[in-house]
Amino acid sequence: MSAPLPPALRRYAGHPFWQAVAILVLAYVLVVWVVPLLPGSAIVPKSVVLQYMVTVLVGVLIYVSDSEARWTRFKEPINAMLVEPRLRVVRSGVLTAVTAVVGLVAYGQVKTTVAAPPNLRSIHPAPPTEITFRGKSITLTGLENPLRQHADSLPTYLAEGKQVYYRNCLPCHGDHLDGLGHYASGFNPLPANFQDNGTIAQLTESFVFWRVAKGGPGLPREGTPWNSAMPKWEDFLTEREIWSVILFLYDQTGWKPRTWEKAESGGAK
Amino acid sequence: MTGGRAAGRTGGRMLALAVLLSVSPTVLLSAQDTTAGKKVYVKWCAGCHGESGAGDGPAADAMLPRPRNFTGAVYKIRTTASGQLPTDADLMRAIDEGLPASAMPAWKGRLSDAERRDVAAYVKTFSAFFSDTSQHIVPLKFASAPGGGSGAAALKTGRLFYDSIGCRKCHGDQGRGDGPSANTLKDDAGFPIFAADLHQSWRFRGGASVEDIYRRLRTGLDGTPMPSFSDLIDQKFLTDEELWRLAQYVRSLSPAQPPDVRDVVHAPQIAGAVPASPNDSTWARVDRYWFPLVGQVIRKPRWFAPAVAGVWVQAVHDGKTVALRVSWDDRTQSPDTSWLAFEQRVLETMANDDSIAPKAAPWPDQLAVQFPRHLSEGMERPYFLMGSATDPVYQWRWTSQPARVVAGLGRGLEQFDTLPAAPAGQAAYDHGEWRVVFTRALATPDTGNEVQLAPGRAIPMAFFAWDGSSGEHGSRMAVSTWYFLALDRPTSPTVFVSPVIAMVVTLGLGMLVIARAQRRAAGV
Amino acid sequence: MHKQLGLVGALAITVAAGGCGGGGQERAGAESAAAGSTAVAQAAEAPAAPGAQGGATITGKIKFTGKAPANPAIDMSEEPKCKAKYTSTPHEEIVVVNPNGTLANVFVYVKSGLPANATYPTPATPVEIDQDGCHYKPHVLGIMVGQTLAIKNADGILHNIKAKGVKNRPFNISQPTTMTSNRTFTAAEVMVPLECNVHGWMHAWLGVLPHPFYAVSGTDGSFTIKGLPAGTYTIEAWHEKYGTQTATVTVTGSETKTADFSFAAK
Repeated sequence: MSAPLPPALRRYAGHPFWQAVAILVLAYVLVVWVVPLLPGSAIVPKSVVLQYMVTVLVGVLIYVSDSEARWTRFKEPINAMLVEPRLRVVRSGVLTAVTAVVGLVAYGQVKTTVAAPPNLRSIHPAPPTEITFRGKSITLTGLENPLRQHADSLPTYLAEGKQVYYRNCLPCHGDHLDGLGHYASGFNPLPANFQDNGTIAQLTESFVFWRVAKGGPGLPREGTPWNSAMPKWEDFLTEREIWSVILFLYDQTGWKPRTWEKAESGGAK
Repeated sequence: MTGGRAAGRTGGRMLALAVLLSVSPTVLLSAQDTTAGKKVYVKWCAGCHGESGAGDGPAADAMLPRPRNFTGAVYKIRTTASGQLPTDADLMRAIDEGLPASAMPAWKGRLSDAERRDVAAYVKTFSAFFSDTSQHIVPLKFASAPGGGSGAAALKTGRLFYDSIGCRKCHGDQGRGDGPSANTLKDDAGFPIFAADLHQSWRFRGGASVEDIYRRLRTGLDGTPMPSFSDLIDQKFLTDEELWRLAQYVRSLSPAQPPDVRDVVHAPQIAGAVPASPNDSTWARVDRYWFPLVGQVIRKPRWFAPAVAGVWVQAVHDGKTVALRVSWDDRTQSPDTSWLAFEQRVLETMANDDSIAPKAAPWPDQLAVQFPRHLSEGMERPYFLMGSATDPVYQWRWTSQPARVVAGLGRGLEQFDTLPAAPAGQAAYDHGEWRVVFTRALATPDTGNEVQLAPGRAIPMAFFAWDGSSGEHGSRMAVSTWYFLALDRPTSPTVFVSPVIAMVVTLGLGMLVIARAQRRAAGV
Repeated sequence: MHKQLGLVGALAITVAAGGCGGGGQERAGAESAAAGSTAVAQAAEAPAAPGAQGGATITGKIKFTGKAPANPAIDMSEEPKCKAKYTSTPHEEIVVVNPNGTLANVFVYVKSGLPANATYPTPATPVEIDQDGCHYKPHVLGIMVGQTLAIKNADGILHNIKAKGVKNRPFNISQPTTMTSNRTFTAAEVMVPLECNVHGWMHAWLGVLPHPFYAVSGTDGSFTIKGLPAGTYTIEAWHEKYGTQTATVTVTGSETKTADFSFAAK
């Protein structure tokens, strides 16, 4: 406390009821406005906000009801609002507001409206053990990126992969490889975000090869192949070009592919 | 009164900006080490802008507008006079916030503050102009906006100058980029360039606010056909206020907010017949929904220069028939042979999957509305990009020439089988905008092929658009993903029963609590 | 179209009635007229550099062989005001062959050979280019670094004038009414293309030089560069379609030497 508060304000600041109100307001501001500003976070969904607020409310109630004296003081303003003749206007206001809110919530529940059906989709469906790439059979299980065996040629492959990425992948997956290219907003589901720790960071390169080669149409049913805008890249790219662009994805984002020997090493930056 | 207050607020913001600008350009980037910037540039920028900064990276020819060529130091979005270099703050704004409706993303939050400053300093090394000390980089002094900008009188003044200083020559009579000179426009490198569609301010590269528009009028967009109007003010042929009115008029052509993309088009049930005409007054009272379209980049040959940025969709039904109106901005009523040379330039500029570059031809404009053949109980539906051989889609297709609507089954991009029955269709072209109304009975005899529309369900729906004069035909088109159409049932009065009960109960309980509390207080 | 013209007229009236606007317009007009006459004089007799009073003269003709290609016809139906200035269909001026078989609009200038440290005063009189009948007049012109280019719009309809220099900063200004804008150029550049984007056929070419030794071939296909100090010069002749040719000429005293160029149809 740098400056002493005026006495009227101090009375409020020291009162458990107003403390509780302040804590609830503060929590709301934090969750709704401050959290999205933190690096790497997004807007908090309404249901999650509700969950946070209920938690805070329960915490506050446990605290104030802990001591009998505090609980009595806590109830004072509520009681005053219900009883005091000078607070008649506040009393009617609160009653009207609560009634209106209940009415609106009930209307919202009853009103029938057609919403888009939920889009339940498996983001990383189980890959097949084997695929046919332009007539050639490729076994995915245990498969590593063959280009990694030629360490001295890696810069060449990476340069090639970069070209492939910028010529083909950029419109959807974007300059920052975060799935927010200039065409991304036109599609649902959104293009994969390679910067996120839930995509290539968790996958083997053979899985990525399968997804690139076969695209949306190659997804199993649980992957909702009818929605995916991912092209079937075997129609555009050679096997080597696909492996090159996979090298580029990992190099550019800094993720390490999950490997077959020790699958738990994935996800490291 | 409100106008005055608004002006005051804007003035404050402008003042803050002026302070920022007067401080930042000199201190921001002068003593940067460019090796750090080069590292960032090579990793994140060179893919589009090229290793040598010439705007010729591997991604460049799949973009229209193309990436900036830094070697000439010609920048569109500046606060300086036409012909002057941009300020450091101008460069930082483009890097931080990106350029809307282009492939340039906002790098703020993607690269650190230091990385963005470093890369801006490095970008300046591509041109000797930035090290030429005789170049004066001074932001123009912008007066603040006069109030009353959205009033009828202001907009009328703005419109007067829109006509008199010749905006319509390129931007067209109603501002959709369809003016008589629009088909000749090239940028300084000779690439085709479109006059901006002033009805889509959220796509303006330099920002959508009235202040942004005013600045573009003052500075021009260097390297493009858009000139600076500052000389007119300097020579007192036009007052600053009149130029602000013009900016306010231009802003008024677009929605106040960028359109939200909502998944479900709600078609209210109306009494009387559904409107079959695209200009029926009913449409003015029906909610409209925006769906963005993007280039078809999934199947060969791909298309990287989609001309139709999106469609506005409205729908109504009367319990028996549905009417769907799709409106979209298209600068040409194709086929239009006066645009053939422009079309040829677009085709030559863009990356192409065919072995032979396509030749310009007088293609018509087209629109397709797509549904599944059947409404399934699950979430499964046909492939969004025109179905497949095994699971076709049901489509309505309109063409401008021959002017007609057909229905058919899409079996992938390659095959479209026309069905004998088609919905009724009417189209109108008005100053750069197509409006097409499809009407069809909800239930039809051909239940095997034609979707049976029923109220109260989410009916999958997708859109495809072709602008013939931009070379679009076949797989060269703009596409959408699956959205939904819902035919709403009229609200039944029973809906209000339970909220009313809930409110009565709440009110009763509340009064009971108060009464009890007061009795107890009186008792004590 | 009538409506639009009416509004342009309305603007002109507004401007004239707008106090100082009217005065400015008249002043600009007077200035331009004066500039016009000096610009013509300058093309005929290059301003003398200090110490080169009198000096030598290089003159010559630009010959043209072969069949001149037809210049594209211009459809001016969108601009009735311009169209009214022509009795027959106007054409572009890409290749202008004179009746005597010579080529007009060739920019001839001293490319090299001048003393390395010599400087030449910037003429105070501006060089003028006019937008008249939806054409640039002249089509090819020269200017010295730092000298004012007065850009005039006699048409009184919307033109934008865009300079697409590479060594000079490019600019693009709007002139929707009868007015004059002044601009200068900072670096030697042969040539700076000028264009109007409202009228895609309007092109002009501006040679920017640090010295006054340049000329443009006219209706008789001849050029004259005066006031040269003694020396050996590389003379370049530039044409927008046929490119450049060079000749080496040595002059002394106040002699006149001839250097002819010949361009052939492609």
